[in-house]
Amino acid sequence: MSDELLVVRCQLGEREAFAELVRTWHGAVERYVGRMLAGPDDDVVQEVWLAVFKGLPGLRQPDRFAPWLFTVARRAVMNRLRDAYARPEPELVDDVPGGDEAEAVVDRETLGVALAALPAREREVLMLFYLEDLPLDACAQICAVPVGTVKSRLNRARGLLRDELVRKGYEG
Amino acid sequence: MTPEDVLERLDAPLSLRRRVGYVTLTLTGLAGSGLVGLLWLTEPGLPPRTEVAFAVLVAIGLCWAVFGGWALTRRAPLYAQDRVVAGWLGLGAWLLFTAGALVITTLRHRLEPALVVVVLTLGVLAVVNLRHARRARSALLRRKARLSRLS
Repeated sequence: MSDELLVVRCQLGEREAFAELVRTWHGAVERYVGRMLAGPDDDVVQEVWLAVFKGLPGLRQPDRFAPWLFTVARRAVMNRLRDAYARPEPELVDDVPGGDEAEAVVDRETLGVALAALPAREREVLMLFYLEDLPLDACAQICAVPVGTVKSRLNRARGLLRDELVRKGYEG
Repeated sequence: MTPEDVLERLDAPLSLRRRVGYVTLTLTGLAGSGLVGLLWLTEPGLPPRTEVAFAVLVAIGLCWAVFGGWALTRRAPLYAQDRVVAGWLGLGAWLLFTAGALVITTLRHRLEPALVVVVLTLGVLAVVNLRHARRARSALLRRKARLSRLS
Protein backbone atom coordinates (compact mmCIF):
# COMPACT_ATOMS: atom_id res chain seq x y z
CA MET A 1 0.00 0.00 0.00
CA SER A 2 1.34 3.45 -0.93
CA ASP A 3 2.18 6.04 1.72
CA GLU A 4 -0.35 8.38 0.19
CA LEU A 5 -3.19 5.87 0.62
CA LEU A 6 -2.05 5.15 4.17
CA VAL A 7 -2.00 8.85 5.03
CA VAL A 8 -5.44 9.43 3.47
CA ARG A 9 -6.82 6.57 5.56
CA CYS A 10 -5.22 8.14 8.65
CA GLN A 11 -6.77 11.49 7.79
CA LEU A 12 -10.14 9.79 7.64
CA GLY A 13 -9.50 8.50 11.17
CA GLU A 14 -8.94 4.77 10.51
CA ARG A 15 -7.23 3.30 13.55
CA GLU A 16 -5.59 0.39 11.66
CA ALA A 17 -4.00 2.87 9.25
CA PHE A 18 -2.31 4.67 12.17
CA ALA A 19 -0.81 1.38 13.33
CA GLU A 20 0.39 0.56 9.81
CA LEU A 21 1.90 4.02 9.37
CA VAL A 22 3.84 3.70 12.61
CA ARG A 23 5.07 0.21 11.70
CA THR A 24 6.19 1.44 8.27
CA TRP A 25 8.02 4.59 9.37
CA HIS A 26 9.08 3.96 12.96
CA GLY A 27 12.47 2.57 11.93
CA ALA A 28 13.29 5.61 9.81
CA VAL A 29 12.25 8.02 12.59
CA GLU A 30 14.24 6.11 15.19
CA ARG A 31 17.30 5.99 12.90
CA TYR A 32 17.11 9.72 12.14
CA VAL A 33 16.68 10.71 15.79
CA GLY A 34 19.34 8.27 16.96
CA ARG A 35 21.94 9.43 14.44
CA MET A 36 21.21 13.13 14.86
CA LEU A 37 21.39 12.92 18.66
CA ALA A 38 24.28 10.44 18.61
CA GLY A 39 22.25 7.82 20.47
CA PRO A 40 18.69 6.50 20.77
CA ASP A 41 16.20 8.80 22.48
CA ASP A 42 12.74 7.33 23.04
CA ASP A 43 11.31 10.59 24.36
CA VAL A 44 12.15 12.45 21.15
CA VAL A 45 10.81 9.60 19.00
CA GLN A 46 7.60 9.68 21.01
CA GLU A 47 7.47 13.46 20.66
CA VAL A 48 7.82 13.09 16.88
CA TRP A 49 4.94 10.62 16.62
CA LEU A 50 2.71 12.76 18.82
CA ALA A 51 3.41 15.77 16.61
CA VAL A 52 2.73 13.64 13.50
CA PHE A 53 -0.69 12.57 14.74
CA LYS A 54 -1.56 16.10 15.79
CA GLY A 55 -0.50 17.48 12.42
CA LEU A 56 -1.87 14.73 10.12
CA PRO A 57 -5.41 16.15 9.78
CA GLY A 58 -3.89 19.37 8.41
CA LEU A 59 -1.41 17.73 5.99
CA ARG A 60 -2.48 19.07 2.59
CA GLN A 61 -0.27 16.87 0.42
CA PRO A 62 -0.52 13.25 1.59
CA ASP A 63 1.77 12.27 -1.32
CA ARG A 64 4.54 14.34 0.32
CA PHE A 65 4.36 12.49 3.64
CA ALA A 66 8.05 11.53 3.90
CA PRO A 67 9.46 15.10 3.67
CA TRP A 68 6.77 16.29 6.09
CA LEU A 69 7.58 13.49 8.56
CA PHE A 70 11.27 14.38 8.53
CA THR A 71 10.41 18.08 8.92
CA VAL A 72 8.49 17.19 12.08
CA ALA A 73 11.33 14.96 13.27
CA ARG A 74 13.86 17.68 12.52
CA ARG A 75 11.91 20.17 14.63
CA ALA A 76 11.98 17.77 17.59
CA VAL A 77 15.69 17.12 17.10
CA MET A 78 16.44 20.83 16.76
CA ASN A 79 14.86 21.46 20.14
CA ARG A 80 17.54 19.19 21.61
CA LEU A 81 20.36 20.49 19.44
CA ARG A 82 19.74 24.22 19.68
CA ASP A 83 23.40 24.95 20.42
CA ALA A 84 24.66 22.94 17.46
CA TYR A 85 22.28 24.66 15.04
CA ALA A 86 22.94 28.09 16.56
CA ARG A 87 26.62 28.01 15.53
CA PRO A 88 27.20 30.05 12.34
CA GLU A 89 27.36 27.98 9.17
CA PRO A 90 30.75 27.99 7.36
CA GLU A 91 30.84 29.77 4.01
CA LEU A 92 28.95 27.83 1.34
CA VAL A 93 31.08 26.13 -1.29
CA ASP A 94 30.09 25.10 -4.80
CA ASP A 95 32.28 22.05 -5.02
CA VAL A 96 35.00 20.26 -3.17
CA PRO A 97 38.03 18.88 -5.03
CA GLY A 98 37.98 15.12 -4.93
CA GLY A 99 34.20 15.10 -4.35
CA ASP A 100 33.63 12.17 -6.71
CA GLU A 101 36.25 10.16 -4.96
CA ALA A 102 34.61 10.96 -1.65
CA GLU A 103 31.21 10.00 -3.06
CA ALA A 104 32.60 6.63 -4.04
CA VAL A 105 33.60 6.15 -0.43
CA VAL A 106 30.15 6.94 0.80
CA ASP A 107 28.32 3.69 1.19
CA ARG A 108 25.73 3.15 3.83
CA GLU A 109 27.84 0.99 6.09
CA THR A 110 30.82 3.30 6.43
CA LEU A 111 28.64 6.36 6.44
CA GLY A 112 26.86 5.26 9.58
CA VAL A 113 30.15 4.86 11.47
CA ALA A 114 31.57 8.29 10.67
CA LEU A 115 28.35 10.31 10.79
CA ALA A 116 28.50 10.94 14.51
CA ALA A 117 31.66 13.04 14.12
CA LEU A 118 30.10 15.50 11.64
CA PRO A 119 28.42 18.82 12.55
CA ALA A 120 24.62 18.66 12.84
CA ARG A 121 23.77 20.38 9.53
CA GLU A 122 26.12 18.24 7.46
CA ARG A 123 25.14 15.05 9.28
CA GLU A 124 21.52 15.84 8.59
CA VAL A 125 21.81 16.29 4.80
CA LEU A 126 23.96 13.18 4.45
CA MET A 127 21.40 11.14 6.36
CA LEU A 128 18.43 12.43 4.45
CA PHE A 129 20.06 12.18 1.04
CA TYR A 130 22.02 8.94 1.35
CA LEU A 131 20.42 6.93 4.14
CA GLU A 132 16.79 7.88 3.59
CA ASP A 133 17.14 8.21 -0.22
CA LEU A 134 15.22 11.47 -0.30
CA PRO A 135 15.57 13.69 -3.40
CA LEU A 136 17.33 17.05 -3.16
CA ASP A 137 14.11 19.07 -3.20
CA ALA A 138 12.71 17.03 -0.31
CA CYS A 139 15.95 17.55 1.67
CA ALA A 140 15.67 21.28 0.97
CA GLN A 141 12.06 21.32 2.16
CA ILE A 142 12.93 19.46 5.36
CA CYS A 143 15.93 21.68 6.16
CA ALA A 144 14.01 24.83 5.13
CA VAL A 145 16.84 25.98 2.81
CA PRO A 146 17.20 26.33 -0.99
CA VAL A 147 18.28 23.30 -3.05
CA GLY A 148 21.60 25.04 -3.78
CA THR A 149 22.36 25.21 -0.07
CA VAL A 150 21.62 21.50 0.29
CA LYS A 151 24.03 20.73 -2.58
CA SER A 152 26.65 22.90 -0.94
CA ARG A 153 26.14 21.24 2.43
CA LEU A 154 26.37 17.85 0.76
CA ASN A 155 29.67 18.81 -0.86
CA ARG A 156 31.08 20.05 2.39
CA ALA A 157 29.69 17.04 4.25
CA ARG A 158 31.34 14.63 1.80
CA GLY A 159 34.63 16.42 2.29
CA LEU A 160 34.33 16.29 6.05
CA LEU A 161 33.25 12.68 5.87
CA ARG A 162 36.20 11.78 3.67
CA ASP A 163 38.56 13.44 6.15
CA GLU A 164 36.87 11.62 9.00
CA LEU A 165 37.07 8.26 7.24
CA VAL A 166 40.74 8.81 6.38
CA ARG A 167 41.39 9.73 9.99
CA LYS A 168 39.72 6.50 11.07
CA GLY A 169 41.96 4.56 8.70
CA TYR A 170 39.52 3.84 5.85
CA GLU A 171 40.91 3.89 2.35
CA GLY A 172 38.91 5.35 -0.59
CA MET B 1 11.27 1.21 21.43
CA THR B 2 9.12 -0.92 19.13
CA PRO B 3 6.23 0.35 16.96
CA GLU B 4 3.87 -1.38 19.40
CA ASP B 5 5.34 0.68 22.28
CA VAL B 6 4.71 3.85 20.29
CA LEU B 7 1.14 2.82 19.54
CA GLU B 8 0.53 1.98 23.18
CA ARG B 9 1.69 5.44 24.22
CA LEU B 10 -0.42 7.03 21.47
CA ASP B 11 -3.50 5.19 22.69
CA ALA B 12 -4.93 8.21 24.55
CA PRO B 13 -4.74 10.82 21.76
CA LEU B 14 -5.93 8.28 19.19
CA SER B 15 -8.97 7.19 21.21
CA LEU B 16 -12.18 8.06 19.32
CA ARG B 17 -14.20 7.96 22.54
CA ARG B 18 -11.90 10.54 24.10
CA ARG B 19 -12.05 12.86 21.09
CA VAL B 20 -15.85 12.71 20.90
CA GLY B 21 -15.90 13.21 24.70
CA TYR B 22 -13.96 16.48 24.34
CA VAL B 23 -16.37 17.67 21.62
CA THR B 24 -19.37 16.84 23.83
CA LEU B 25 -17.75 18.62 26.78
CA THR B 26 -17.11 21.75 24.72
CA LEU B 27 -20.64 21.87 23.31
CA THR B 28 -22.30 21.09 26.66
CA GLY B 29 -20.24 23.84 28.32
CA LEU B 30 -21.21 26.35 25.63
CA ALA B 31 -24.91 25.43 25.48
CA GLY B 32 -25.17 25.24 29.29
CA SER B 33 -23.54 28.59 29.93
CA GLY B 34 -25.61 30.11 27.09
CA LEU B 35 -28.89 28.96 28.61
CA VAL B 36 -27.90 29.98 32.15
CA GLY B 37 -26.80 33.35 30.78
CA LEU B 38 -30.16 33.71 29.03
CA LEU B 39 -32.00 32.93 32.27
CA TRP B 40 -29.88 35.50 34.05
CA LEU B 41 -30.48 38.21 31.45
CA THR B 42 -34.24 37.69 31.24
CA GLU B 43 -34.91 37.50 34.99
CA PRO B 44 -35.68 41.00 36.30
CA GLY B 45 -34.78 42.25 39.79
CA LEU B 46 -32.47 39.49 40.93
CA PRO B 47 -30.76 39.81 44.34
CA PRO B 48 -26.94 40.20 44.17
CA ARG B 49 -26.34 36.69 45.56
CA THR B 50 -28.39 35.09 42.79
CA GLU B 51 -26.56 37.16 40.20
CA VAL B 52 -23.26 35.91 41.58
CA ALA B 53 -24.55 32.34 41.45
CA PHE B 54 -25.56 32.78 37.79
CA ALA B 55 -22.16 34.30 36.99
CA VAL B 56 -20.40 31.34 38.62
CA LEU B 57 -22.51 28.85 36.65
CA VAL B 58 -21.78 30.66 33.38
CA ALA B 59 -18.06 30.75 34.24
CA ILE B 60 -18.04 27.00 35.01
CA GLY B 61 -19.69 26.22 31.65
CA LEU B 62 -17.23 28.44 29.80
CA CYS B 63 -14.26 26.85 31.62
CA TRP B 64 -15.38 23.38 30.47
CA ALA B 65 -15.82 24.71 26.94
CA VAL B 66 -12.34 26.27 26.95
CA PHE B 67 -10.80 23.08 28.34
CA GLY B 68 -12.55 20.97 25.67
CA GLY B 69 -11.42 23.37 22.94
CA TRP B 70 -7.86 23.32 24.22
CA ALA B 71 -7.82 19.50 24.38
CA LEU B 72 -9.15 19.25 20.81
CA THR B 73 -6.51 21.56 19.41
CA ARG B 74 -3.53 20.47 21.53
CA ARG B 75 -4.09 16.87 22.63
CA ALA B 76 -6.59 14.96 20.54
CA PRO B 77 -7.04 16.35 17.03
CA LEU B 78 -10.19 15.62 15.06
CA TYR B 79 -9.88 13.53 11.90
CA ALA B 80 -12.34 13.66 8.98
CA GLN B 81 -14.77 11.12 10.42
CA ASP B 82 -14.58 12.73 13.87
CA ARG B 83 -15.37 16.11 12.34
CA VAL B 84 -18.59 14.76 10.88
CA VAL B 85 -19.56 13.33 14.30
CA ALA B 86 -18.60 16.67 15.88
CA GLY B 87 -20.72 18.47 13.25
CA TRP B 88 -23.80 16.43 14.16
CA LEU B 89 -23.13 16.98 17.86
CA GLY B 90 -22.86 20.72 17.17
CA LEU B 91 -26.21 20.66 15.40
CA GLY B 92 -27.69 18.73 18.35
CA ALA B 93 -26.29 21.27 20.81
CA TRP B 94 -27.78 24.08 18.74
CA LEU B 95 -31.21 22.39 18.75
CA LEU B 96 -30.95 21.94 22.52
CA PHE B 97 -30.00 25.57 23.00
CA THR B 98 -32.79 26.74 20.67
CA ALA B 99 -35.40 24.64 22.51
CA GLY B 100 -34.16 25.94 25.88
CA ALA B 101 -34.13 29.55 24.64
CA LEU B 102 -37.67 29.16 23.27
CA VAL B 103 -38.94 27.74 26.56
CA ILE B 104 -37.29 30.53 28.56
CA THR B 105 -38.55 33.34 26.33
CA THR B 106 -42.04 31.82 25.97
CA LEU B 107 -42.37 31.62 29.76
CA ARG B 108 -41.57 35.33 29.89
CA HIS B 109 -43.98 36.14 27.02
CA ARG B 110 -41.46 38.04 24.99
CA LEU B 111 -39.15 37.14 22.12
CA GLU B 112 -36.13 39.42 21.87
CA PRO B 113 -35.05 40.13 18.26
CA ALA B 114 -31.39 40.02 19.36
CA LEU B 115 -31.88 36.48 20.69
CA VAL B 116 -33.50 35.39 17.43
CA VAL B 117 -30.47 36.74 15.54
CA VAL B 118 -28.07 34.89 17.85
CA VAL B 119 -29.99 31.61 17.57
CA LEU B 120 -30.24 31.84 13.78
CA THR B 121 -26.53 32.73 13.44
CA LEU B 122 -25.55 29.75 15.59
CA GLY B 123 -27.85 27.53 13.50
CA VAL B 124 -26.24 28.67 10.26
CA LEU B 125 -22.77 28.09 11.76
CA ALA B 126 -23.74 24.56 12.87
CA VAL B 127 -25.13 23.66 9.42
CA VAL B 128 -22.16 25.16 7.53
CA ASN B 129 -19.73 23.35 9.82
CA LEU B 130 -21.48 20.00 9.31
CA ARG B 131 -21.63 20.50 5.54
CA HIS B 132 -17.95 21.39 5.40
CA ALA B 133 -17.02 18.31 7.47
CA ARG B 134 -19.10 16.01 5.24
CA ARG B 135 -17.56 17.46 2.09
CA ALA B 136 -14.02 17.06 3.44
CA ARG B 137 -14.74 13.43 4.38
CA SER B 138 -16.29 12.72 0.97
CA ALA B 139 -13.22 14.17 -0.78
CA LEU B 140 -10.93 11.92 1.27
CA LEU B 141 -13.13 8.87 0.62
CA ARG B 142 -13.01 9.55 -3.13
CA ARG B 143 -9.23 9.90 -2.97
CA LYS B 144 -8.97 6.68 -0.97
CA ALA B 145 -11.08 4.83 -3.54
CA ARG B 146 -8.96 6.16 -6.41
CA LEU B 147 -5.69 5.24 -4.70
CA SER B 148 -7.03 1.80 -3.75
CA ARG B 149 -7.86 1.11 -7.40
CA LEU B 150 -4.33 2.15 -8.42
CA SER B 151 -2.53 0.00 -5.85
